[in-house]
Amino acid sequence: MSKHAAETGAPNGGVRKIYSAYDDPGTPEEISRRSFMANATLAIGGLVGLGLAIPIVGSLIPEGASSKGTWAPLTADELASLQAATSKPVKLEFQLKSKDSYLPEQSSGEYVWGIKTDKQKFISDRTDLPKSGTLPYSDGTYDVVTMNFVIFSPICPHLGCRPVWNDSATRFQCPCHGSQFDFNGEHVAGPAPRGLDPLPFKEQSGVANIMWIRYESGVPDRVIISYTS
Amino acid sequence: MLNWLESRTGFVTLAKEFLTEDVPGGASYWYVFGSATLFAMILQIVTGIFLTFFYAPSASTAWESTRAIYLNPWTHALLSIHYWGASAMIALVFLHLMQVLIWGAYKAPRELQWIVGVLLLLVTLVLGLTGYLLPWDMDAYFASQVSLNIAGLPPGGAILQLIAQGGPVMGTNTINRFFGLHVWLMPAALVLLVGAHLAIFRHNGSAGPVVDDPRKLKPGRFWPDQMFMDGAASFFVFVIILALATFAPPYLDQKADPTNAAFQPYPAWYFLFLFGLLNFVPWLFSQIPGLASQANTPWVEMLAAIVVPTIGLLIVLLLPWLDRSTTRSFASRSKILWTTFFVVVAIVALSIYAQTGIQAKEAAGPPSLPQDQVLAAAPAEAAPASAAAPAAGNGASVFAQNCQTCHGQNGQGQPGVAPPLAGNPFVTGDPKAVINVVENGLHGETIMGQSYGAPMPAWKGTLSKSDLAAVITYIRGGLGSNKASAITASQIK
Repeated sequence: MSKHAAETGAPNGGVRKIYSAYDDPGTPEEISRRSFMANATLAIGGLVGLGLAIPIVGSLIPEGASSKGTWAPLTADELASLQAATSKPVKLEFQLKSKDSYLPEQSSGEYVWGIKTDKQKFISDRTDLPKSGTLPYSDGTYDVVTMNFVIFSPICPHLGCRPVWNDSATRFQCPCHGSQFDFNGEHVAGPAPRGLDPLPFKEQSGVANIMWIRYESGVPDRVIISYTS
Repeated sequence: MLNWLESRTGFVTLAKEFLTEDVPGGASYWYVFGSATLFAMILQIVTGIFLTFFYAPSASTAWESTRAIYLNPWTHALLSIHYWGASAMIALVFLHLMQVLIWGAYKAPRELQWIVGVLLLLVTLVLGLTGYLLPWDMDAYFASQVSLNIAGLPPGGAILQLIAQGGPVMGTNTINRFFGLHVWLMPAALVLLVGAHLAIFRHNGSAGPVVDDPRKLKPGRFWPDQMFMDGAASFFVFVIILALATFAPPYLDQKADPTNAAFQPYPAWYFLFLFGLLNFVPWLFSQIPGLASQANTPWVEMLAAIVVPTIGLLIVLLLPWLDRSTTRSFASRSKILWTTFFVVVAIVALSIYAQTGIQAKEAAGPPSLPQDQVLAAAPAEAAPASAAAPAAGNGASVFAQNCQTCHGQNGQGQPGVAPPLAGNPFVTGDPKAVINVVENGLHGETIMGQSYGAPMPAWKGTLSKSDLAAVITYIRGGLGSNKASAITASQIK
């Protein structure tokens, strides 16, 4: 310790306390021993910090993200309204079963947009989708257009808000940042990096089912981040 | 870099001033207890902060999120360190207090440092008590129930209990309040009191060893000499905590079930002596002729649970004024040293007495489940009620409309009319055969040794495939204790 340190100290009743232990710099052996003790103390602090940092960082990394795909059924009424639709998208509401961490499996309301369209026309209109008309998913490959229907995720591919259909503009308009999509879900204006995302749709045992998928937002490619919720 | 920081903030000078201090008689491993306690406190704060990233305080999530903490190895490590860190902190506080007591370091001018120290012990015990409830398992529930009811014993205690519980009985509000106490109010009080404790310590300086003339002591340096010893002791404590966390992790019991009468709660080891006192005082009364009839009365219980511990605490708090002699020499303080010795022996004896009593009761009771079985069975997942509910609900309504007139509301059947479906092995057997009977009807068969008059109609065409699937699923899995597999519409021809 320097002379300076020896003259400082906690105030004691307004009088600065002088710590006499720091007056004598000590023998060369003492100086070297103190240098070792100072370094060892810092090393101990670092070691304990590291010992705590490892489980803390480890715990903060979330466990495996997506689980297997689940299909959510539409009611007969909803299928009928989709079949009747022509020039307007239909909002299809359904119950989504999801498992959120340690909470018990819960059923919550969710919706998607459905349009009635012709397969060949849709595939040629939506240039951002694969030319084959099929979309790959982790547990199989599904057609973009099934039974002349296309189902869109309601989530804006820009930053995750929810575009709404505007009848007079005949466009989906996102309230957050103004991205716009036409009837086919094609991106026509605003900051979104891609068009609306199609969801797999299939008929099974007389029930129309939708697979709920979350895609990564803000990127041009469709990256699946979760299957169930 | 340091110069740049120093010229703008003065932090380097501040740190130097903080670390520059005389240690009377030179640095010693005898002085590490306070620093090691401080280290344990920091360890508890760091692990505690990150545990709040994973814990959710409510009756429907406390146990579930704790289970999730146990299932992830990293969070389990944090929890285990926190669990043993609590024990270490209380043990170190006790050792620190014992040393100050034996050395007479509480004497003037350090009375207020002693008072703040005793308050720190109390805050630490409240932290232990409130943390004990948070996992919301069987022991957390019943042990906290006992301590809350003790709090309700003295006059005015009922209101205190009501406020602590957040209602007339323990529940989700209790968890929320204990959580607020455990992670906010008590830690904030702890940090403020530690600040006061250290400030008073620096004002008066270290009491130093017990010698005839303290002025003759050659001063040593706090930094780095004493700090190195403090660091070494803290590291030793850390290694012990890590070893205990690794080889003796805490046990999470099944979720709190207030109706489980067989459960025998046990307190944390540092409350065992109070538990022992609670049993010992009535026993003592029962052994004294003339007082035996009073042994199990409420006032004796209050004496054991409230009065004796409170008097003990007041004596400890007021010790600097009860022992007013200015000398610190051991020879002239033999009374206080012997009293301390006997009190410590009594605390240890009461703890052992309580522990043996608990062990005897636990041995007589049902064994607790192995940890992996507790963690494997999440009640919410074992019974996926919400998942099956839509189909079963539909099946139940189809059953109510079409089937229960003959088969009964609960599928118990009607003698001579229609057979029972609940507990009927045919119903829970081969699904194809069940589908066949429901679709095509049945008449004149003898079922489980009985004959029935009413014919079973053919439901094919009357009910849709999905309704058939739903109602068969319902009778196979929803009636009585039937637990057979569900039927899907695709299995119906």
